[in-house]
Amino acid sequence: MLIPILLGISIAIFLIMQLIPGDVVSGILGIEETPELRAMWEKKLGIDKPLVTQYFNWISGVVRGDFGESFRTGAKVFPEILWRFSISAELAILACIVAWIIAFPLGILSALKRNSFIDRIVRVAALLGVSVPGFAFATLLILFLALVFGYYPPIKYVSLMQNPLKNLEIMILPAIVLGSSMAGSVMRMTRSSMLEVLRQDFIKAVRAKGAPERITIMRHAFRNASIPIVTLVGMQIGILMGGTVVIEQIFSIPGLGQYLLTGIFQRDFPIVQGTVLFMATIYVIINLLVDILYTYIDPRITYS
Amino acid sequence: MKRILSLVLALLMALSLTATAQEPMVLKYGTDAEPIGFDPHTVPALASTRIMLQMYETLVDVDENMNVVPLLAETWEQPDDLTYIFHLRKGVKFHSGREMKAEDVKYSFERILNPDLGALGNSASYAGYIEKVEVLDEYSVKFTLKQINAPFLSALASSYLSIVDKEAVEAAGGNLLQSSGGTGPFVLGEWVPDNSVTVHRFEDYWQEGVKFERIEFYVITDPSARMSALRTGEVDLIVGDSAMLSLAEKAKNVEIYKVRSRNYTTLCLNLNKEELKDVRVRQAISLALNRQEIIDLAFNGEAEISGFAPASMGHWAVDVLEHPLYQQDVEKAKELMKEAGYENGFTLTCTVGLLDSIRNSGTVIQQQLAAIGINVDVQNKENAQYVDDWKTHNFDLMVCQNGAGTDPNRAVAFFFSTTGSANIAEYSNPRVDELCELAAGTTNVDQRREYYHEAINIILDECPNVTFASPYDYIYASTDLKGYAPTASNMVNFRFAYIEK
Repeated sequence: MLIPILLGISIAIFLIMQLIPGDVVSGILGIEETPELRAMWEKKLGIDKPLVTQYFNWISGVVRGDFGESFRTGAKVFPEILWRFSISAELAILACIVAWIIAFPLGILSALKRNSFIDRIVRVAALLGVSVPGFAFATLLILFLALVFGYYPPIKYVSLMQNPLKNLEIMILPAIVLGSSMAGSVMRMTRSSMLEVLRQDFIKAVRAKGAPERITIMRHAFRNASIPIVTLVGMQIGILMGGTVVIEQIFSIPGLGQYLLTGIFQRDFPIVQGTVLFMATIYVIINLLVDILYTYIDPRITYS
Repeated sequence: MKRILSLVLALLMALSLTATAQEPMVLKYGTDAEPIGFDPHTVPALASTRIMLQMYETLVDVDENMNVVPLLAETWEQPDDLTYIFHLRKGVKFHSGREMKAEDVKYSFERILNPDLGALGNSASYAGYIEKVEVLDEYSVKFTLKQINAPFLSALASSYLSIVDKEAVEAAGGNLLQSSGGTGPFVLGEWVPDNSVTVHRFEDYWQEGVKFERIEFYVITDPSARMSALRTGEVDLIVGDSAMLSLAEKAKNVEIYKVRSRNYTTLCLNLNKEELKDVRVRQAISLALNRQEIIDLAFNGEAEISGFAPASMGHWAVDVLEHPLYQQDVEKAKELMKEAGYENGFTLTCTVGLLDSIRNSGTVIQQQLAAIGINVDVQNKENAQYVDDWKTHNFDLMVCQNGAGTDPNRAVAFFFSTTGSANIAEYSNPRVDELCELAAGTTNVDQRREYYHEAINIILDECPNVTFASPYDYIYASTDLKGYAPTASNMVNFRFAYIEK
């Protein structure tokens, strides 16, 4: 199933890139363009060949693990994708941790104390989390910290391996921004899903059996309520892989989304095609993991 | 408790003070876009040029008054109109430590003129007129041109014609996109994509007095994040625009540098469009515009009224403030429209894109042209599409920002001669062509000025484009940054700059 999906995506993205107006040579030469210079660059980049040839040249490289080289910088695309993926993945994981720390306890609490004061506060907070756009929150956060505390996060990127503490300091603000908007929807989902489960007969049975409340909630209710939450979180992680461009830009974090966006603006086909294909693969894998996770959460689900 | 706390704080301060005293001097520069490699011969992007200018040098330079001054060539002579002999400065070293000699100059120009490279300098505006380059001795090199070309000398100051180290090019596999092989005061260091580029001081640089041990360029695309980074001292200097002024003025630790630029914003008219073929319609458009209003609304007032040869071009510029077509006169414009037979007006599209100032200008122009019956449909295009439309001349009206360059040949011939490669209006006037050729064919400055002024005045009267503004460039820096003086020709010269807290 995976191979045909990815092949289809590779063809689609290749064609889409051809369809959008403007090309990389215009971007490289700008105002200095002459017909002679254009011809030289087209030849140099191999975009003077027929489309079918271009596609097969590219895809046959991909099969061998060679995603080609950037039109602009000449740098190999695949190692760059991997490096940036590690950054985006780290950011996604941190954002999830932030989101879960906020969302699960509050979501459960809000379901248990339905219509109480706490519930209302949580619901408003969740609504804010969902509706305040990430870029606005990020800009406000930066301005607030800069103007009130004179603080600006470190601008030089260092990886987790080089300096874990510094790396965390860089990543924590974007993680909070991304996490809080994720938390909003996860919180809402947790609340409604919990409410539904809490109404069911087996919870009454568990309570009647005399199980302590903690066990009732965590082992029985939350576990049963978590299928739609896991689905949601899975989708969100998929989105976080590439959909965090704006946040990455604001905090100058060299993630995968940033790479893709620059690639699109500069019509750097190998970058765009490679990144989209890679993201699609990751997305498919995450979906697979989510499906597998279902069977652990709810043993009644089996895949034959 | 309080006493202990203050003691600890004092200790920390003392520590940090000694730490800064020993630390090498670093300039942190917040830029707005990711560079795309550092080969001076093939990369035109401004985000790259800022950094390349630290690494590469040219034979000559152009000073503030547009005079050609020595750089890597100490002197030069011109035995006849087609021949230039340059005597190179001795003791100039490449980043590899090898001395730069005549062979390297020859190699650099052969590299530029090699058709397989697709170098930006391989065109009539730059090195295209070079017939051959010969080495006379270790430090002398002779250029022979195919035809007389007066702008040649000032074109040599373009970074597209930088002198590069042959061995460095070969070692890097033919391109310098990710390495440095120049003679400039800084050497390329670490490049973290979409985050930062570091350049280190070149200890064997031929000029004394470079104080920064390194310059770190940080990509901070979001303008307000960039300004926050400056205000908190996280960076020392940022690329800015006039929209940041209000924030910058409030900050005590921010110095504002306002520089007259050689760029201008203009409304290009497509002369293939039936209505725009008529010079009266074009003049009516010029008369209909209230240029100061466009500047106030689209540039926050941070631009000056300008023609296509802006005031920053010094003696080459033509003052347009008194030009009759630059005085808004809607009645006269309506009359001209009536004479041309367009009493009832017509509809044109106006393509905008790339910059906010361009987009906003389009909207203001739309309002102003409505007064003379021209109905403008503003079309906002995505960047690459905008550039594409520019190149294929696919527009009725288009708001563009152009650079007038370091020689009037660029400002006039490149944009307005019949064969000029940026003549997107498809304007053609035999007298202008003749004047451009005459001006390129003589090295007498007064004579050249006369030719260009005549050409500029013809073009101003015939309005193949209607220019309105030359925006100021803005740079914001920490008040601790000293010895930095940006100019229109070079905004990134940090040779004499230093930080003093």
